[in-house]
Amino acid sequence: MGESRERDQRFALLMRATQEGDREAYARLLHELIPLLRRAVRRQRALLKPQDAEDLVQDILLSLHEARRSYDPARPFLPWLMAIVRNRVADGARRYISRSAHEVVVDRLPETFSDADPNTINAAYGDPEALRLAVKALPDGQRRAIELLKLREMSLKEAAAHSGASIAALKVSVHRGMTALRRMLAGTDP
Amino acid sequence: MMDTNALIQELANSAAPVRRLPPPSARMLLWLALSVPVLVAVIWLMMPGDINPIAALADRRFLLEEAVLLVTALAAAFAAFASVVPGYDRRILLIPLVPLAVWLASLGEGCWRNWVALGADGLTLRPDWDCLPPAILIGIVPALAMVMMLRRGAPLLPRISIALGALAVAALANLGLRLFHLGDASVMVLFWHLGGAAVLAGLTALAGRRVLYWRHVAAT
Repeated sequence: MGESRERDQRFALLMRATQEGDREAYARLLHELIPLLRRAVRRQRALLKPQDAEDLVQDILLSLHEARRSYDPARPFLPWLMAIVRNRVADGARRYISRSAHEVVVDRLPETFSDADPNTINAAYGDPEALRLAVKALPDGQRRAIELLKLREMSLKEAAAHSGASIAALKVSVHRGMTALRRMLAGTDP
Repeated sequence: MMDTNALIQELANSAAPVRRLPPPSARMLLWLALSVPVLVAVIWLMMPGDINPIAALADRRFLLEEAVLLVTALAAAFAAFASVVPGYDRRILLIPLVPLAVWLASLGEGCWRNWVALGADGLTLRPDWDCLPPAILIGIVPALAMVMMLRRGAPLLPRISIALGALAVAALANLGLRLFHLGDASVMVLFWHLGGAAVLAGLTALAGRRVLYWRHVAAT
């Protein structure tokens, strides 16, 4: 009992430092929380595939990041964290159910593709979830450029008008963004 | 999938200092402090000349009803602000039901007395749109303040948080509006005011997920 209270106090101190802008304390806190989060996700969603479970852990980290101003250092840390975990796990399950409601499981895919297509599709798209997270991790300017030019398929002129950035700046951002994405995704192919 | 360690580094690098949210009770008082001047101003400007609000408050029954409305507004605001802080006991969300039940009971008892005194005439409903403009004027600032303050927290229960916020705004607006309708039969108050509050809370709750959401999820 005493040990868990001590641990809670340590987390609370780290979170307090985080709120004050201490980045090292924040990185340490998140690293220390990871095993705890993985255990919690495994316990609540035992049947999840490993990569989906890790995705959920990352979603919890992003939520914690977003909610960090709501933590009151006068109150215990773990109940605060676990309320976020439960919320994200439940939301994940809800999204999973609504997604699978629109999916049709088939034994054999209808044979309407030419032979070469499936390989091209796989090679071109890889893991969309990894791409989503990688895009999210880009610096603001690059992410904006990728979103406007690549995902929403705007022309340079439209994107410039939409974002207020110059065409040259957009070209540079999208180039750097694509290079960064390639680098980030290089190690994650299945 | 992005490496979790890389994500941690990314988050740590982008972590600027944040202003801590004050406790729900302090935020409740702040919300009240933002809302009351509007309430007073609207009552001051729109009150018909023949009504004296100070004299009205001398009526004990009316005073009790106003007090219950104030407690309902405060309890609902407190519960709403607690609902956006992870780790609070969920039973806190039920607190506003107590003053709400007292309000309902006092209106029910009023209806009963009117019925005993006047028969069916005591329970007739008629539309009364006069109070809609002051209702909107009284409600708009507290409602905007409530939404902005709720959005600073964590959207754990968006629909419930918004419904509680709407209840707080509706109770506060009712507190002001009752001064415009001093002689109204309880059934009118029950139907239009309490009914209006319920409809407002229900409708806004439906929109809860559009108002309160995790920004990183919405961005995908």
